[in-house]
Amino acid sequence: MFELLVRSRKFMIGAAVVLAIILFGIIGSMLTRDPLAYSSHFVEPPSSAFLLGTGNFGEDVLAQLCAGTRNSLMIGAIAGGFAVLIAVLVGGIGPYKGGLVDEILNAFTNIVMVFPMLPLLILLAAIFRTNSMFLVATLIGLTSWPWAARCVRSQVLTLKERGFIDIARMSGMKDRKIVVTEIMPNMLAYIIVVFVVSLSIAVLTEAGLSMIGLGPDPSTNVTLGSILYWVMNSTHAALPWALWWCFIPPGLILTIFLVAVFIMHTGMDEVFNPRLRRV
Amino acid sequence: MKNPFAHPFAKFVLKKIFFYSVVAFVALNFIFLIPRLMPGNPIDQMIPPGTTDLGRLRLKAELEKYFGLDRPLHEQYINFWANLLRGDLGYAVMRGYNFRPVADAVMAKLPYTLVLVIPVLFISFFLGNWIGARAAYVKGKRSDAVYFTSVFASQMPFYWFAMVLLFLLAVNVRVFPTGGTFSPRFIPSMNLASLLDASRHYALPFLTLLIITTGAWATGMRSMTLYELDSGYILYARQLGFRNKKLVSYAKRNAILPQFTGLNINLNSLIGMTMIIEIVFRWDGLGSLTLDAVLARDYFMMLGTFLVTMVVVILGNFLVDLAYAFLDPRIRTGREG
Repeated sequence: MFELLVRSRKFMIGAAVVLAIILFGIIGSMLTRDPLAYSSHFVEPPSSAFLLGTGNFGEDVLAQLCAGTRNSLMIGAIAGGFAVLIAVLVGGIGPYKGGLVDEILNAFTNIVMVFPMLPLLILLAAIFRTNSMFLVATLIGLTSWPWAARCVRSQVLTLKERGFIDIARMSGMKDRKIVVTEIMPNMLAYIIVVFVVSLSIAVLTEAGLSMIGLGPDPSTNVTLGSILYWVMNSTHAALPWALWWCFIPPGLILTIFLVAVFIMHTGMDEVFNPRLRRV
Repeated sequence: MKNPFAHPFAKFVLKKIFFYSVVAFVALNFIFLIPRLMPGNPIDQMIPPGTTDLGRLRLKAELEKYFGLDRPLHEQYINFWANLLRGDLGYAVMRGYNFRPVADAVMAKLPYTLVLVIPVLFISFFLGNWIGARAAYVKGKRSDAVYFTSVFASQMPFYWFAMVLLFLLAVNVRVFPTGGTFSPRFIPSMNLASLLDASRHYALPFLTLLIITTGAWATGMRSMTLYELDSGYILYARQLGFRNKKLVSYAKRNAILPQFTGLNINLNSLIGMTMIIEIVFRWDGLGSLTLDAVLARDYFMMLGTFLVTMVVVILGNFLVDLAYAFLDPRIRTGREG
């Protein structure tokens, strides 16, 4: 599967941009100032000293952008990890076992799917007062798995019908061994892309939650959403929307990241569904 | 006599009613459990700071008795359902609501949210699918441009796009107000002036949601139509010499069905998006109410808004499923395809 993915141009372009943004977050936050260091230059537009201007308390927006990108991606990775873990358990065991187990797990996925994710997250974040990055990530992961579970389920369903699984079963291989040696290697590339998409949804969700003040504590954690939160709650401008240098960059990074993941995902779809490739 | 429930359409409707009843049951149990699982107690939040220790204990006991939290859990559970069935969601303790019934307060804000959600849902569905289908058969640069625009529109963070629109159309060029439902010091009533004032405030949140959701539909519809245009029956019809327009109309019909099943998920995410967009534009709907309740730590109000959101989502999903059954001839006529 990996060889096919590498040959897909869309997949590689998307992956390259995603990688560039990850590097921007990691390397950028090493080279820039402390993102929480205050200065007396409150909300100044971009200048040579502060390339992207300064924020509410005189912080360097560029430093915040780098640290925010890194932290948001980290939250996304934890949340995406949880989501994919649950998805593999719920979406993988069901069709493999079949029968009642499958019915129950599938019904469970469909029920959770009806729950509107953002209102649910707002409620849970407010009630459990999740104010650390890890807790917010966990919460997002625990509420966003149904989509991934569906993807995994449909993929397992198609894999199950293939001949080599039947041969493995007929040769007396144990269920667990079939899953580990036959199904998983064929699913790996697919699961990685499902993970990246879950990650991108989690990053988008985290920024939205943080923007309304329900993410990690914005006074000690820098994320792409916390930058937006301080714009919304700025005390320095009568109209916070006038502070374009504070809110345009984080949104632009998010947009580029999400578009890149989308293109990557489209590329993967074409690999796994050859009929799409011709169009 | 034929059994009326044997008809596939009736079967389909009954199955859906059963499914959404289960969803509602799960959601309501969840709402019962959540405040009882949370760290601390919602009662603690109601005691004003600065109360003496003795006063705190007595007030706490009094409030727990008042809200029935001193009863055993199974009795609380029965009371919870009894209150729900009477439409009693508790009383708002947050400032400015004067212990108004939560159900009242939430229902008063619901129309403001629905007036955003419903038009956006329908207009974006028709507009997006129309654009997507056109982009599928108009080849070349223009098609690519439409495709990339819709990908960008659908992938942009919606709350950020709201900020950009505010920056462009309310700060730089002062066409629209920066937020609220009515102008400050404006007393709304049932007249044309109020409607005009509200629609000026309505424009930007509406536009934000419309552009984002239309982009999503257009991207999906374009690839669905391309997929159908590539299938056997279209190739065959092409060989027979059918006109291109006819082919596209066939492909569109088959492409729209999977889009319809996406309407459910789109409705669920649209409600969440609307709530956050409301907060950005300070539009006075459920989203703004939820945030106010969260900031004031008013648990009755938080659970009440979530419950009403859940009911709206379940009803909406059910209606979408019904519409789908009408559209899909296999379910409508009961003949297998």
